[in-house]
Amino acid sequence: MMFDTILSFLIFGTIQGSIYALLAMGFSLVYGVGGILNQAHGAFYVITAYIFYSCYINIPQYGYLIGIIIALIATTLIGGLIYLLLIKPLKESHVGVVIVTFAFAFFIERFVSIAVDSIYHNMPYLIVGYFTVFGVNIQYQYIIILIVSLLLLALISLFINKLKIGKSIRAVAQDPEAASLMGINVDRILAYTLMISAFLASVAAILYVPVETVAPHIGWTVLLNSFSIVVLGGLGSLHGSVIGAFIIAYSRSFTNYFIDPVFSALIPIIVIVVMLVLRPRGLFGKKEIK
Amino acid sequence: MKINYEFHDFKIYFRDWIGTFRGKLTVLCLIGLILIPLTGNNYIIGIFNTFMIFTIFAASWDFLAGFVGQVSFGHAIFLGIAGYATAFTIRFLNFPWWTALILGAVIAVLFGLIIGVPALRLKGPYLALGTLAMSLILYQLFLMGSLAILWENTFPGTIMFGTDGIGQVPPISPNPGISYLIIFLIMCVSLIVLTHLGKSKLGTIFKSIRDDETGAKASGINTTKYKILAFMISGFFAGIAGGLYTIRLSGVNPGSFQALYSFYAIIMASVGGLATISGSALGAFIFVFLGEILRLLGDNPNISDMFGGFTEPIFIFSIILILIIRFAEHGLLKPVLEHLQDLWDLLLGR
Repeated sequence: MMFDTILSFLIFGTIQGSIYALLAMGFSLVYGVGGILNQAHGAFYVITAYIFYSCYINIPQYGYLIGIIIALIATTLIGGLIYLLLIKPLKESHVGVVIVTFAFAFFIERFVSIAVDSIYHNMPYLIVGYFTVFGVNIQYQYIIILIVSLLLLALISLFINKLKIGKSIRAVAQDPEAASLMGINVDRILAYTLMISAFLASVAAILYVPVETVAPHIGWTVLLNSFSIVVLGGLGSLHGSVIGAFIIAYSRSFTNYFIDPVFSALIPIIVIVVMLVLRPRGLFGKKEIK
Repeated sequence: MKINYEFHDFKIYFRDWIGTFRGKLTVLCLIGLILIPLTGNNYIIGIFNTFMIFTIFAASWDFLAGFVGQVSFGHAIFLGIAGYATAFTIRFLNFPWWTALILGAVIAVLFGLIIGVPALRLKGPYLALGTLAMSLILYQLFLMGSLAILWENTFPGTIMFGTDGIGQVPPISPNPGISYLIIFLIMCVSLIVLTHLGKSKLGTIFKSIRDDETGAKASGINTTKYKILAFMISGFFAGIAGGLYTIRLSGVNPGSFQALYSFYAIIMASVGGLATISGSALGAFIFVFLGEILRLLGDNPNISDMFGGFTEPIFIFSIILILIIRFAEHGLLKPVLEHLQDLWDLLLGR
């Protein structure tokens, strides 16, 4: 009996951790490279969830797969467009960027609740079915989530560390001015970064929406979790956000299973306050954050 | 003696101010506001009450963002906590409304400090997201049924958590006209205090932190102390607004903690223009009345059929906010005033 609970706590923590890692990595990347605080990060998740859902409902037979493809492409493009249309003209004022992305998050939330509706929806799993290990049912969807997200995290870190464009991204993160003197188009790199971030959030949504629900306000939870993870791991540190994601996911899952779900809701704010008091730069953050 | 001196200063300042175009216009608007209860129409009085309360709320946000440069995305924390504290003390402890209002605002400030103190010690986006995170979590906590049951078992006969919130809060006065005038006075005092703080020596320190935090630090200003002070002032007035809003709606529910209310403050202050306290009044005016018009339009079946529900106020306002920040970052107050003054001069043939 006890063993079951421990196993399901571990499984759910791992699944949640890999989803959180995808979300937090994109959030952290955008902040680390451009110093852009993207309040619309949750909106990417919502956009994907609703495109996916509407395709699934409206297109017969292949709606699920078509939904995945359209949602991924559209969200990635929207990420780039947000940079070009909203963030780039306001780059001089940090207040402007946060307000405009915050407004965009609201815009998306209201848009989907008017255009679709504002009640909860459920989506089916990609592959329905499960197998049983030690009396615990493990959905195939969980395995898919784990494999896809770990693969994607590995690919992104390869992309950033090995490819030439990844090198440009790191250069812009270190010093945008020097990077532009070396002939790097900083705006293009920042647009790519936002697109990567949107793509990661979009993949997370496609994997995780069938496990949870589709509703207009889910974006705020995404933003909240991403922020607490990034504070824990260090703003702008990529591997910090992956490790932070798993720490937060396991501790939330732990309190859910063994203590009380009430405390699970409190974990993000406790983490934020404690980290800001004890170690503001996070576990793996750069030293220069004062 | 010092207070006397400052008051004398203020008198001179006031006399000069009333001579300017801006002063005359403000006095005209205030006289217009006082006359509203004479209409005797409770619907109109209600809308104007909301407008005045939101003015205080927006001005408190604007004070923090405009003068000190610290953006809070969770001003709903103050609105909600003060609302709950006010409702609780009035309904279950039988406090008079003004004690409850001040107590609520103080409690709201104390709660705000939980996130404010650690976040304000640091530079960077910590305050913005920290306050947002806190308001989202408070929203979840106050919604929770298990906490509601726990609270009722610990303190029988009282309500704190749960989806319904606290209801049946009595109004300030049974006469809506008197309630209106009291809210009007509170609004005037809040706006005067905030404007004056912005112009005082303290305000200069705040602006120096906003413009160059490192420079301010180098000049021997304890930036953390002043940032926390500004956060407390802002939270206090937001708390007053929260208490009044609760009394106006005769109840409070977890919805007060939604990011939506923080969004309201931001949109009202940004429409008016950052760092202009009176701009918040213009922003709140546009926000409340346009919102009301849109709501009426949405109720009309012909129009809602034509636009498919896209006349929803928050949807329209999010577009307005994006456009304002993108194309008119300094808000509407200054250009509107300039045009009005040109028109006025033209009429007088100057």
